[in-house]
Amino acid sequence: MMMGSSFPEEVLEHVFSFIERDKDRNAISTVCQSWYEIERWSRRRVFVGNCYAVSPLILIKRFPDVRCLELKGKPHFADFNLVPEGWGAYVSPWIAAASTAYPWLEEIRLKRMVISDDSLELISKSFKNFKVLVLSSCEGFSTEGLAAIAANCRNLRELDLRESEVEDLNQSSGHWLSHFPDNYTSLVSLNIACLNSEVSFTALERLVGRCPNLRTLRLNRAVPLDRLAILLRRAPQLVELGTGEASDLRPDVFSNLSGAFSGCKELKSLSGFWDVAPGYLPVVYPICPRLTSLNLSYAATIQSSDLIKLVSQCHNLQKLWVLDYIEDLGLEALSASCKDLRELRVFPSEPFGVEPNVLLTEQGLVSVSEGCPKLHSVLYFCRQMSNDALRTIARNRPNMTRFRLCIIEPRTPDYLNHQSLDVGFGAIVEHCKDLRRLSLSGLLTDRVFEYIGTYGKKLEMLSVAFAGDSDLGLHHVLSGCENLRKLEIRDCPFGDKALLANAAKLETMRSLWMSSCSVSFGACKLLGQKMPRLNVEVIDERGPPGSRPESCPVEKLYIYRTISGQRFDMPGFVWTKDENSALGLS
Amino acid sequence: RRGTKMGIKSEQHSSASSIDSSSDPSAAAASSSSTDLRLGLSISSSYYNDLFPTPTTKTRVQPLSWPPIRSILRSAHLDKALDHKQASLFIKIYMEGIPIGRKLNLFAQDGYDSLIATIAHMFPTTILCPGADRVHSDKYHVLTYEDKEGDWMMVGDVPWEMFLNNVKRLKITRADRC
Repeated sequence: MMMGSSFPEEVLEHVFSFIERDKDRNAISTVCQSWYEIERWSRRRVFVGNCYAVSPLILIKRFPDVRCLELKGKPHFADFNLVPEGWGAYVSPWIAAASTAYPWLEEIRLKRMVISDDSLELISKSFKNFKVLVLSSCEGFSTEGLAAIAANCRNLRELDLRESEVEDLNQSSGHWLSHFPDNYTSLVSLNIACLNSEVSFTALERLVGRCPNLRTLRLNRAVPLDRLAILLRRAPQLVELGTGEASDLRPDVFSNLSGAFSGCKELKSLSGFWDVAPGYLPVVYPICPRLTSLNLSYAATIQSSDLIKLVSQCHNLQKLWVLDYIEDLGLEALSASCKDLRELRVFPSEPFGVEPNVLLTEQGLVSVSEGCPKLHSVLYFCRQMSNDALRTIARNRPNMTRFRLCIIEPRTPDYLNHQSLDVGFGAIVEHCKDLRRLSLSGLLTDRVFEYIGTYGKKLEMLSVAFAGDSDLGLHHVLSGCENLRKLEIRDCPFGDKALLANAAKLETMRSLWMSSCSVSFGACKLLGQKMPRLNVEVIDERGPPGSRPESCPVEKLYIYRTISGQRFDMPGFVWTKDENSALGLS
Repeated sequence: RRGTKMGIKSEQHSSASSIDSSSDPSAAAASSSSTDLRLGLSISSSYYNDLFPTPTTKTRVQPLSWPPIRSILRSAHLDKALDHKQASLFIKIYMEGIPIGRKLNLFAQDGYDSLIATIAHMFPTTILCPGADRVHSDKYHVLTYEDKEGDWMMVGDVPWEMFLNNVKRLKITRADRC
């Protein structure tokens, strides 16, 4: 307390203003009461990793003057339709509370949440200095809500709808853009790539033309190439561009576009390319040497040879997202040409096909791991893998921080020796000492979890599917991985024992998801009763768990730590320790 | 245009006055041949049986929601004909008056009966069977779907398999408006 009174508050506040990371701010707030007070009044940026871990009221009480709010809702597996609709993650209570408590709020970033048009309108009218709206994988709103944002947010800089589901209401389709007033000129970033229907091109062109600070423009599919050329000429200062559809190869469009692209000297990031006719690719060749980011995951029409020609010119590429049409040969070219590559994602062109349709194997990934010294983030879909390859990758890239491998067929063994891939993944966790995120696939026994528990000391997020033999597997992970925050498991033979034995661990994590495993309702009830700071949600669409024996495994289980108790918006298929609490009484 | 097409189709199949696709012989044949493909897909069995199908069959279905790719990415490839190797087919269903649609997995339904039952849980209304007398009331709704050509049709007028191949989205509209 002596230390706190020797500096005037203003000085401390000034010092604290240099401290931005949540972890550091949390740390300084524990020094003493006066530091706690000064810190909480000066915290401007808050990140809530699970919207149900804390309530708006608690947040506002502690941090009275927040300017940037980031919230995450549904668990990651919601991306793959594993979370039934109506589960929750409604943002409206947060917006309602913020509308009165934080009049100076500038930024809202949401991920996997449900946001209504009403909430969007409330945002647009409550925050006079509102600047940034990022809706990542969100849903529940329409172009009406966007119209309100456009009309009322005079200081808007960023509108990013990345991968959200937006209802296009016929009456206002495309016209929501015209709600930006004529004197509105502050747009810096616009991402509407996820919109299904057309936007009003005139409104778009005028908007782009009058916003001199526009850096990022991600268009939706419906903007044809000839229109793109017009936009590029209006905004040659663009740094990030997402094209629309480009299927019709026409020479006049080609030359027009070429000219337009040649004027864009700042362009560093490209995406879009829906159904692009390969004949158009040369228009971007002049841009390639400057490109640091390339997203071709929608370019289902570009085959290996064209991809090779393209990436071979991108000597400064740091991030590549591409379909497996690139094949092993293309990845070899990538590893030769793109020495600055940091992140690679290879998506399956035919995820549901049984036979491989492309010549993409483990070899492609091995090549890139050899040739790209800065590669640290990988997402790779393939159909065969070997322990040898994994060991090689691990030895080549001890700097790996995110490694997600998806061998498309569940429980696929090492194709060379037909053994499990335990030792291969074991090599990954052993050599990559900074590994923070890992997704497993292929044939795996409890052994791989022993390796993970032993070596995965920095691991924060683990995704597991169709793996393991017994509870021992889960126990290894829960007892060994000290920094584990998120664990998501599907179709594994993990049951009650490991869960109950590691109940305390669950309070140190953000969340645990288990679906199609062997956890009984009885164990869930017990866990919920014993751990008041955990919400144990059984997601089961078969009806009341009480109608089945308590030993019966639950369909899905979502456990998360919380300081705000049971939530009040649970739908009928979510069951907690109070069996009756989900009967639509809320 | 919408009214005419709907009228013609429902008259042709007025003999199928219930929405049970098995009353239509061609539907029964089609649905029984596809039952094998969808055996692993009904919600009750998929969670407790071994999901891993035998490795030899070429027509084997992947487990639900596998491989883990986002549906938005999947839509980049949806121009191909409906691929029954997918374990799920999510479409949007809208209720008249509510702008935000809901998602529904059609492959999780066995046929029209099951579809109506599922929808009844999702929306607070009574769906009239096609062919039943039109009721002039706002309490009753009928189920329509948009097909590949963008036309709106009455649900139940074609065999289930054909419906799955053609449906793009569903809409619940007031019975007295049709």
